[in-house]
This record gives sequence, structure tokens and C-alpha cells, in this order.
Amino acid sequence: MNQEFVYKGESRAVELKNNRFASFPNSSNTIEIEYTPDGRLFLHNGTQAREIYAAVDGDKTFVDIDGVLYEFALPSQDASAAGGGAGMAEDPSKVFAPMPGKIVKIMVGVGDTVEPKQHLVIVEAMKMENIIIAQGKGKVIAVNFSVGQQVDTDNPIIELELDS
Amino acid sequence: MPKLFNKVLIANRGEIAVRVIRACRTLDIKTATVYSTADKYAVHTLMGDEKYEIGPPPPLESYLNIDKIIEVAQRVGAQAIHPGYGFLAENPKFAQACVNNGMAFIGSTPESIRLMGNKIESRREMANANVPLIPGMEKAGGDIEEFKIAAEKAGYPVLIKAAGGGGGKGMRIVNNRDELDTAVEGARRESKSAFGDDTVYLEKYIVDPRHIEFQILADTHGNAVHLFERECSIQRRHQKIIEETPSVAVTPELRKKMGEAAVAVAKAAGYVNAGTVEFLLDPDGKFYFLEMNTRIQVEHPVTEEVVGVDLVAEQIRIASGFPLSDHFKDLRQRGHAIECRIYAEDAANNFMPCIGKILLYREPTGPGVRVDSGVRQGSEVGIDYDPILAKLIAWGENRDMARARMIKALNDYKILGLRHSIKYLADIIAHPKFASGETYTSFIDRNFFDWKEKTGENLEVALAAAAVINANGGGKIAVFGGNGEVERSYNPWLTMGHWRIGEKIK
Repeated sequence: MNQEFVYKGESRAVELKNNRFASFPNSSNTIEIEYTPDGRLFLHNGTQAREIYAAVDGDKTFVDIDGVLYEFALPSQDASAAGGGAGMAEDPSKVFAPMPGKIVKIMVGVGDTVEPKQHLVIVEAMKMENIIIAQGKGKVIAVNFSVGQQVDTDNPIIELELDS
Repeated sequence: MPKLFNKVLIANRGEIAVRVIRACRTLDIKTATVYSTADKYAVHTLMGDEKYEIGPPPPLESYLNIDKIIEVAQRVGAQAIHPGYGFLAENPKFAQACVNNGMAFIGSTPESIRLMGNKIESRREMANANVPLIPGMEKAGGDIEEFKIAAEKAGYPVLIKAAGGGGGKGMRIVNNRDELDTAVEGARRESKSAFGDDTVYLEKYIVDPRHIEFQILADTHGNAVHLFERECSIQRRHQKIIEETPSVAVTPELRKKMGEAAVAVAKAAGYVNAGTVEFLLDPDGKFYFLEMNTRIQVEHPVTEEVVGVDLVAEQIRIASGFPLSDHFKDLRQRGHAIECRIYAEDAANNFMPCIGKILLYREPTGPGVRVDSGVRQGSEVGIDYDPILAKLIAWGENRDMARARMIKALNDYKILGLRHSIKYLADIIAHPKFASGETYTSFIDRNFFDWKEKTGENLEVALAAAAVINANGGGKIAVFGGNGEVERSYNPWLTMGHWRIGEKIK
């Protein structure tokens, strides 16, 4: 059975045999994971076995391996779902709030040129001020919110035209 | 002969509310919890003996609503209110309102809270008591010119601080004249939104200090003792993330001197109950009074583990009118304790606070391991409150043992469903500079400014797990592993909380 997941915006393929043995394209590794009738996961490696902690919420799968968190999305979903950071990383010309909050300051206006790392907006959430910075050099072409407004993570606060 | 209260109302939420309930239980005191509509199924809400809704999620309409909380406390017959930390803990009006309505405030007197809450006034008072201070403004700054003059007098770098603040909010480091305007403006805004007051002041910024604080206990009979130091130098954006005791930098002579200064501060302030006197310790062993926190601190458990006391229970005893017991006449430090604060935050995205549902939750156990938590499996972490989830405390006979236990416990702590700081904390504790005790407040900026979680290594194992789950049904909400921890819970209220949360899941 071939499966596909999205990890940090990139597609990853897995081939699963007998619902237990996983192999990967361009890799000679085979990984054995047992799914027990009471819904637990065990990684088997020679004489070793250990439990794996995982959880599924809708299209997202969370897996803990040695304290590192892996977050996967199913490929039919928007690729950004696995990133958690709203389309930010995918399109640096659109400036999003990292989490829902209130805009306390906007430092640029339409037509301004911005440098990488220049402070653009301050969003307050969970009692903290978060400074949002420019991901590249370019020109401001739209400011979609004003000070005092609530923002979510889906609508860009500022749009830039980046120098190529 | 004083008598303990019959019922205490807890005017807080999260892990500290849970901690206070535990102390009340050991003293056989009934607890009433209050909650906002966002916390209807929160751990603290369901853990008390009685629960009362006090309003919508925004703190100003619930956990900061003095009239409402006092009204509930009176109606339900609470004889005392424990404010926890944050929210109303250092609000003298709240302490006064408790007293005016015939209830005990489990904390200091309104007068001493007012004095220590005003960072400028308290500096003046402490100067009179011969406590060493950092050079800076003697009153709140007015226009930017005043800040400019004070900055030049103290010498850059300088620090802008909120007069009514704490916890790093409304605080800015200024390296030169060019940064001053923006910093003052930003500090004012943040201070206004966090504390409702935009008064800020300026002081010299001490380079390479350690943050050393002393725990104080003072009773209503004039006795005051210190319970040694805590080092809280590991901070990010001026927020403590790791604390420990004893400090590697505090020699027995220095401990004696600083401890005496801390008791002098408490006495000069007319302080009662548990409090913390914060100092900066510079590399030459000179120390400066920073501020006094007039509440139980987030990091109080490390003191409890090393000194062998229950600080919250002692707070309640003191507020009931008991004198400090003989136990406090001969206090000793035994072994070493470290605390890590576990936050819902995204290390890959500049440590932005994260929201979400905790799908899987499994606490570590073992010798010397303690967890003070405000969440459990099924808890929702929203945007309304501080993103702290829990505190993990490790004790060992020495610092290396405490570190080893902490690393193991962090690795065993499983929280799935939202991003958190556990791996980041484990990397700090394991860092050679932390191991060697080079813990200055600049530690994070110097050693962890470009920290990235190593995610590549076991990606194939994780992918294999995701594939196996998917092949076996996956979908909807499912949790693999860790269930046993919840089912084994012997506290019927906790179990009930779990069930209610379970029913909410669609």
C-alpha cells in the first residue's frame, strides 16, 4: 500500500507492507511498526522494541520520536496545514500574523520600500507583542488592516512586491 | 490560638490554581475555584470542591474582575482568597478589597504590595534601607529628553522598564541613542496593555549578570526568614524559562550577605507572607536589588524540593495567623533542584505562542521528578491566557544528578497536538555551558540564538508510524499510547474532567 504525507510543505512517500513494514523511495531502510489491537504503536528493531506516541486530529498526524515532534498532513489538504505557520513560508510576499491577535502598530505604508528583516507590523497576542519582519527586499503594495483591528492567520496584513 | 480557614477561594487558573488546591487538601481546607467560560472544563475548574463561573474569557471580564470575585467569595462563605501569581496577585486594590470584606488575602498587606509594586518608590525606600541599587532614574520618565539625559548619565546600554510591571513585559534594552525613541514608545505601549499603566523608567543595563533571587517568608508576628536563593538566569525575552537552586555562583559568604539583604528588604517593606527579593549578581560578585515580587513565584518548587517545605501551605498558615514554626529556625539546603517551564510555543517560528488541543498527554515519573501541571489530555489551549502548560522539576543529590534526571524526564514527557518547548529545554540542560554553570542572563542569546530542532534524523520512523496509523483506520480523533496514564488516575474529579472533555470531542 502506497501512502503520501506532507511534511513541512514537502510530499513524502511511504510504502507499507502487511500494514507493518514501511519502506521509502531512494532508501534501503525498512522500518517495522506494530499496531496492537488496543491501539498502541511499537517500533521493532532487532531485539529492541519501544512504544511510539502519536495522535491524529482530522487531517493532521502528530508523532513523537525521541522527544522530537513530527507533524504530517494528508496530501489532499492544503500543504500549509503541516507547517502550522499559515502560508508564510510558502509566499514571502504576503505578510501574515503568526497567530490570531490585535494589531498595535503598522510601521510601513503603501509604496514604502522594505529591507529584509525590517519591522513591518506589531501584533499583540497572549499578552506579548510580536514583531513581524519582512522576509525579503521589496515594495509595499497593500496594507489590508489598521491599528486596533483583530487579525487571524489566513488573511495577509501586508502584501509586498518582492525584488527578484 | 489561630485556626486554619474552612474554605479558600482560588482566584486564578492553570497550574498554580491546581497547586493551591493541592496545598488546601493537605491542610483539610475546602476549595472554591472560579473560571471563565473558556475554562469550563479546565483542570483547575474541576479539581476544586466547588466551582463558580465568573465571566467571559478576556481576563478583565473574569480573572481580573475584582468585584465579581469578591462577590462570589462572600456568597460561598470563603474565609480567604489565594490569588496565585499573575492576574490579581500583586494588585493592592484586590488585597484591600479582601480585607474590607472581612476575608483574608493570602499574601502580603495592601500597603507593602503597593510599595513594592511601584518600582520607583520601592527603589527609593530600599536606598534608605541601604540595599544596593542599580544606577538609574529616580522617578518615572516624562518626555524623551528626560530619558536621553538619564541614559547619558547612566551610560549605554540602558534598560527601559515598566514602573508597574514584571515578567519582562514592557521592557527594552537600548544600546545607543538611535534606539531610544522606539524602545520607550514600545515599552509604554506594552506596559499599558499588560498592566493598564504606561509609566516607564530607565536604569543602567548590567552586562553579563546572573539573576539571583531569595525566597522570603514573614509571619504576622514580626518573624522573617529567607529560604536561600534561586538562580533564574536562563531567560528568553526577559522571561525565565529554567530556574535552579542552589546557584553555582553563590558562595556561603555571599549567600549570607544576600540573604541578610533580602530579609532587610522584606522588613523595610513591612512584608508579610511569601515573597521573593530579586537581585542581579555581576561577574565580580557585586549584587544589586532589582525588585520584590509580592506573591508566590512560578519557580517556588525548586526551593520546596531543596529546603523541604510546602511554601503554599505555609502561605495559608501565615495568613491564618500562625507564627513561623520551629522548622524555619534551622533551614538547610539539601541537594539540587532544577525547574523547566513548559510553554505552548513554536520553536521553529520565533517561539510564538501556540494554540490547540492536547491530543495526547503523558507525564514523566521516577525518583526526584515532579510535575506541576494545569493541563491534561483533551485540554484546549486558547489565545486568552499565558501559554504556560506545566512545570517540570527534577531533584538530585547534586547538580549533575538533577540535570541527568531532568533530561530523562523531558524526554519522557509526551505532549502531542500543539507545539511546545520540551525539546528546546532538553537541549539547554544538555548544553556544555549549562553543564559547567556558565549561566548568565545572556545564555540564550549567546548559545541558542540560532537553535533549530533536529528533525531529520528519525523522519522515516515518524513517517512509518503515520502510515501504520493511516492504514489501520486513522481518521477523526484517535490517540495512540498514553491512555493508560489517564485511566489510572485515582482522583475521581480528574477522571470526571477527562470524561467531560471526551464528550466534547466530535
